[in-house]
Amino acid sequence: MRRNRLDIIEKAVEQIPYVNIKEPFSGDVNIEGKVSVEFESLSEPLEFDVTIYPQYPFRTYDAETIRFNNKDYLEYNHVMGDGTICIHTSHNPDISKKLLIDFESLKNWIEKYYINKKSDLHYEHLITRESDFKGIVTSYMFTDVDYTFNPNQFGFVNLSLLSEGKNGKKPIHNYLTKGFADKFGKKIAICKWSKIYNQLARPNHGIFFYSEKQPATHNRFAYSNWEEFIDVFTGDFLEFLHQCEKEYIKKKRRGEYVPFYIGYNIPNGEVHWLVATLEIGNFPIEGTKENQIWTSKLLNENIKWATSRNSSYKYFFGRGAFSSKLTKKRILIIGVGAVGSNVARTLVKCGCTKIDLTDYDVKEPENVCRAEFQFASGRTDKIEEMSNVLSQISPFVNIHTVNQPYFEVISKALYGENKAKSELEDFLNSYDLIIDCSTDDDLMFVLDSLNLKSDHINLSITNHAKELVCAFNPNTYDFVTKQYSEILDNNIEDLYNPTGCWSPTFKASYNDISMLVQIALKKINDIYQSGSPKDNFIVKSDMDEGLNIKIIQY
Amino acid sequence: MAINKKEYLQEVLETHKMSHVNSLLDKYRDKRKSIKEALEDYYTDKIYSPLNSGSYAKHTAINTKFDLDVVVPFKKKSFSTLEEMFDDVFDFLNDTYGTEATVRKQKVSIGIIFYKDDDNHEISIDIVPGRELNEDQYNEDNKLNLYVNSKYGLLAEKTHLLTNIKAQIEHIKSKDNERKIIRLLKIWKSSNNEDYKSFLMELITVKAFDKDNISGNLWEMLESTMEYIRDNITKDGFTLSDPGNSGNNVADTLESWQKENLSTKMKNMLDRIEDNSDNLKIYFPVNPDFKEEDNTKSNEGYGVKTGASTFSVPTQNQRFG
Repeated sequence: MRRNRLDIIEKAVEQIPYVNIKEPFSGDVNIEGKVSVEFESLSEPLEFDVTIYPQYPFRTYDAETIRFNNKDYLEYNHVMGDGTICIHTSHNPDISKKLLIDFESLKNWIEKYYINKKSDLHYEHLITRESDFKGIVTSYMFTDVDYTFNPNQFGFVNLSLLSEGKNGKKPIHNYLTKGFADKFGKKIAICKWSKIYNQLARPNHGIFFYSEKQPATHNRFAYSNWEEFIDVFTGDFLEFLHQCEKEYIKKKRRGEYVPFYIGYNIPNGEVHWLVATLEIGNFPIEGTKENQIWTSKLLNENIKWATSRNSSYKYFFGRGAFSSKLTKKRILIIGVGAVGSNVARTLVKCGCTKIDLTDYDVKEPENVCRAEFQFASGRTDKIEEMSNVLSQISPFVNIHTVNQPYFEVISKALYGENKAKSELEDFLNSYDLIIDCSTDDDLMFVLDSLNLKSDHINLSITNHAKELVCAFNPNTYDFVTKQYSEILDNNIEDLYNPTGCWSPTFKASYNDISMLVQIALKKINDIYQSGSPKDNFIVKSDMDEGLNIKIIQY
Repeated sequence: MAINKKEYLQEVLETHKMSHVNSLLDKYRDKRKSIKEALEDYYTDKIYSPLNSGSYAKHTAINTKFDLDVVVPFKKKSFSTLEEMFDDVFDFLNDTYGTEATVRKQKVSIGIIFYKDDDNHEISIDIVPGRELNEDQYNEDNKLNLYVNSKYGLLAEKTHLLTNIKAQIEHIKSKDNERKIIRLLKIWKSSNNEDYKSFLMELITVKAFDKDNISGNLWEMLESTMEYIRDNITKDGFTLSDPGNSGNNVADTLESWQKENLSTKMKNMLDRIEDNSDNLKIYFPVNPDFKEEDNTKSNEGYGVKTGASTFSVPTQNQRFG
């Protein structure tokens, strides 16, 4: 079998006209050999070590299982730090055909990046060889700040331990970068996370240096040895580093790690931060005495790069979000039951950052199955629960819980009084969008009578979640009440009323409800994105002839 | 349950008759009279006799939302520019009624909305100043130039608009069927908070009757008119001539996206009513204040049967979330 595989590979490679086998393929598990590639536009043949893994011709861990390697070509684009040429090829289950495809891919790389020295418009972050610190993996997330760093600026970084988990088989410490301080500890920049993240407990701090240039060789590989920073770090900074280490040791932290942020501008103008871990007591510096003066000098030591990620809003929601015409709105959600909590969670997942919630109710265990609540937090106020759920999803959403008496007392007990009306109007007009999922007819009536400048959407569903009714102001109260009383077939004979229950409720699963809510929100997003008229609509689903879902536009 | 569309619409019109609000209308008439007198006292020989116009004069008013309109014809020599005329009338009305009403400049008129009285009535009168084109010409042909205060569809602000209010009133005279449809479309507009101009709905209805030989019962006429609007409003070159000035294309008061929206709305309405005739109740509601109660139908609407429940079961119109 092995012999046969080796023969197939040997024969297939021999038949590729621009490839010569320099060292025959051999090996029991990994098959290795050496080839040279030669074709007309290439001035001289190029040599590559070839490694073919046992999974070949299948890919594994989202990577090719054939490697072409030569460290002499590190300066060219799309070459990994170990000299592997970066190729992505198409699937083929036949070894001979797959080899042909892969060598063709190698040839394409040679033409594009070796001969024509093409550089891609798409920028890729520097490649770092990441390593753990005494068996612990560390990861650092940062976001935008409203601050411009100066070349050679240095100081402290404020961070908090966000979570501990597993990365492969090793423990991982996840840190959130909260801001930057100057060398005297005075805050200079605050990261643009939501308030709750900027107030995270478990504070920690690190050191930063902002470099004028990318700390990289071939513009692609981050420095791997501290000595390479000799032209980057200033004497002042090395002295600062030395003083920091002395302080840490004084605080009996010898042997612990300190994150060291190295920042630089990337082509799109953003600041990117690489983070290395420094061991207290073993900083990569030493004091040398020259002309009777002590100075600090960098040591020839490998850098322990940690993981760093730009998690700013742009990247966090880069893969897909609602229109900015919706996400920039200040939104109030009234009622966070099955519908309201689904709305809230979807808005947050789709990039909304200013959301206020109001609900007087308490989450019961039986609410969990169809609302966006967790069992683990037990019986708790729904808005408290939702605030936590939403904040755990997005580091950019600021959630406020609104004083419920506005809706249960001021709006109703003082209905018709001009002062209360104008106070309620002022309060509600401070929002751009109000989404009422409370199913409170009385509140709907009151809201309908107000002079609201903000958009106001009313959402509710029928029993069995057959229909979702979406109404925009000023056509809410009449439209919604008529839909339920005159148009929709809202069968309330078949309600869920278990033993011990004093208030029967509608029947519908999480799947039934969220499907309708998702369609409604897709439509609402489209209305804002396209500027279409805010006309009321019904989302209707039935299983009469297979699943049938439609939007009925009014 | 399907409804009889013709009978339902007749009920809608019946409940929206102005005769149901005679006492309120008297208050309107009194206010209008006092405003006209004030204008005549102040402007004396600068103006001809103010005349009533608008929906009430045309018999197309509905009792849920209406105002009374007064056209004030100024003589050519009264002001050197239309803007001066417009501003002067505004200043006068604001000085005279500013403490008891909100006085505001509108597109071609000045709106006076009196603060609610003890009966919670809010009276609204629109004053439309216009100036004759040449000296003494108004007596001959009733033509007036109106001042366009703010952008009016394709008409830019600070321009003028030639019209003939009397011709507009004549245009709709003795067109009973058209007036019923216009009133229904105004009920739709008012109850669904659509801000299309009544004048535009009026002209397009009359044109639909002219072009499409609309006939049949009330629903059939309404349906044909809505189909006509759906199919024609977005057509290139579609015009709605102002009977007071054939050069004034009232369709131009809508921008193209507004025409698209109006056409789409007509399509949606027709489709929904086709799906379920009960949807007429959404678009053309009866005025519940003047609905004749029929005891045999007490389980409809928000009557006792649907509203009250003796035990904790949700009512039929219960919403969920």
